[in-house]
Amino acid sequence: MANYAHPEVLVSTDWVKDNLDQPGIKLVEIDVDTKAYDAGHIPGAVGFNWQTQLQDQVRRDIIGKEAFEKLVGGSGLSPKDIVILYGDNNNWFAAYGFWLFKIYGHKDVRLMNGGRVKWLNEKDKPLTTDPPKIAPTQYKVTETHLELRAMLPEVMDISKTAKANLVDVRSPDEFSGKVIAPPGMTETAQRGGHIPGAKSVPWSTAVQQDGSFKSADELQAIYFQQKGVDRKKPTVAYCRIGERSSHTWFVLSYLLGLDNVKNYDGSWTEYGNVVAAPIEKG
Amino acid sequence: MNHQTRVYQDVFEMLPSEENPSPMVRINKMNPSPEFELYAKLEWLNPFGSVKDRAAWAMLRELEEKGEVGNGRGLVEPTSGNTGISLAAMAKARGYHMRAVVPNKIPLEKKVLLKIAGAELDVVNDALCPAPGLGDGSINIAKSHAKAQAKKYAMPNQYENEQNVLAHVRTTGPEIWRQTEGKVTHLFVSLGTCGTVSGTSRFLKGKNPDIKVVAVQPTEGHDVPGLRNVSQLGVSRLFDSSLVDDILEVEFKLAYTRALELCQGEGLLAGPSSGLIYEGAREIILRDKKGFGVMIFPDNIFKYTSNMMKHIPGLATGNEA
Ligand SMILES: Cc1ncc(COP(=O)(O)O)c(C=O)c1O
Repeated sequence: MANYAHPEVLVSTDWVKDNLDQPGIKLVEIDVDTKAYDAGHIPGAVGFNWQTQLQDQVRRDIIGKEAFEKLVGGSGLSPKDIVILYGDNNNWFAAYGFWLFKIYGHKDVRLMNGGRVKWLNEKDKPLTTDPPKIAPTQYKVTETHLELRAMLPEVMDISKTAKANLVDVRSPDEFSGKVIAPPGMTETAQRGGHIPGAKSVPWSTAVQQDGSFKSADELQAIYFQQKGVDRKKPTVAYCRIGERSSHTWFVLSYLLGLDNVKNYDGSWTEYGNVVAAPIEKG
Repeated sequence: MNHQTRVYQDVFEMLPSEENPSPMVRINKMNPSPEFELYAKLEWLNPFGSVKDRAAWAMLRELEEKGEVGNGRGLVEPTSGNTGISLAAMAKARGYHMRAVVPNKIPLEKKVLLKIAGAELDVVNDALCPAPGLGDGSINIAKSHAKAQAKKYAMPNQYENEQNVLAHVRTTGPEIWRQTEGKVTHLFVSLGTCGTVSGTSRFLKGKNPDIKVVAVQPTEGHDVPGLRNVSQLGVSRLFDSSLVDDILEVEFKLAYTRALELCQGEGLLAGPSSGLIYEGAREIILRDKKGFGVMIFPDNIFKYTSNMMKHIPGLATGNEA
């Protein structure tokens, strides 16, 4: 049995329950459906809205350093805290939040394995609508890790040279170009298909029925043996807006231990809109 | 109460039972075989307008008997509309509040009707028939409300509640047995929560194991509220494959065209899931030739005018002076 490369970044729902109210351990819920937090959250957890709080509200970009400091400081987090992220849809946006915390150099961030649904469906795990008590801090970012992020020119170059793995984590129908976005999702693109050279490995292949991650052995078999991700090369993961690919970025970096993995958050809603960019279908 | 004069002391006395069954009407022009008797059981004539009156009432009565509602505690329920409308109207009449969590894709008419019936409405992005276990969607939002505010909400949870099945064991099954004088050979139903199929089939097969139960499903990616495609059946807790003989998959657009034909050919103002069930019955009649079939028609067309405009050419135009 292989172990996860960095098991310390994953905590169980039981661990979270045993550590509620511990000073220095802070919970943050980030959902696709921003109604979920209001319906009920883990006691003490703050909720981030990915649309209004994790994105720059003027240009298309992740929030800048100052906005990040303001957001997490205003939520009572400090750089020494252990930050536990969880959310709906198997932690899609929780993983996106994890990636953002790492970009802004937060030392100890962890994901709650199985996310919100696992917690919700376990009888002994409480939910509340009470707002958390927050003591704001002056959070200062001291290092940034933009190397965790891939931008369009680099992706174009990889597509041409195959010098890195390109992993498309969207559904098979999005990969083939049959649909441009999953039903009900509003962010979309002018064209359907995938970036030439990308391998299709839907994000969901990494999780079990209950939403928690598959074992290290299973993950190795899927990504390295079956899907042919070359572990000696760097890797870039993308999806539609960068949330599902954060999930796969997390799997490749922390569970499988690849040391050069980037999330291309521009993803299909950038690439599929670029004039004259080559596209593969089918 | 007196089912002869049909004078009642309150609306709940009108709920269906063996003594007061929902009507069965023979299909005449649209029956493809003269040797196959075909009847539609009109569930929209239940007092709150659909087959879900049965499950809603059974679930609500159980909560009342256990003392789980009242004193400020009301209901929260994930629904594609009909269960919510029945539950909301019943709950309000008995003095409880009700919150309905619905998928965005249900027809506008149902959302507005839920509010008219007195439900507080939560609209979430979800599949048309909420599926437990997948994603988060309306079931888990409803569960969150129930868990976070247990003093305020009880959740009947039609997707897992055995009362949803028992309601049909106690009422729909015996009604059909009596109305057909035991002659029924085929039962035609659709699958949503699977309460209807499991309960009715359990009763009828108990009376006569040879009765064929045929479930009709829309094709994947469908737009027929209340129903579920076969690929999602694995997650339906109330589905019991030993109680179903055939599962037919029918192109979902036929739900709309057959519903229109039933309106215009038989004078039955049947909704899209009834249209789909009729198409399934038609295919089986052409295969089996002889028999006595009963189709359970879940609701009527009134809540689906906006969906009909989407799927039937011509309905959307010529409506203005
Ligand atoms: C219009 C309609 N048809 C069919 C069904 C399916 O019935 P059941 O949930 O008992 O399987 C429902 C129930 O949700 C419905 O609302």
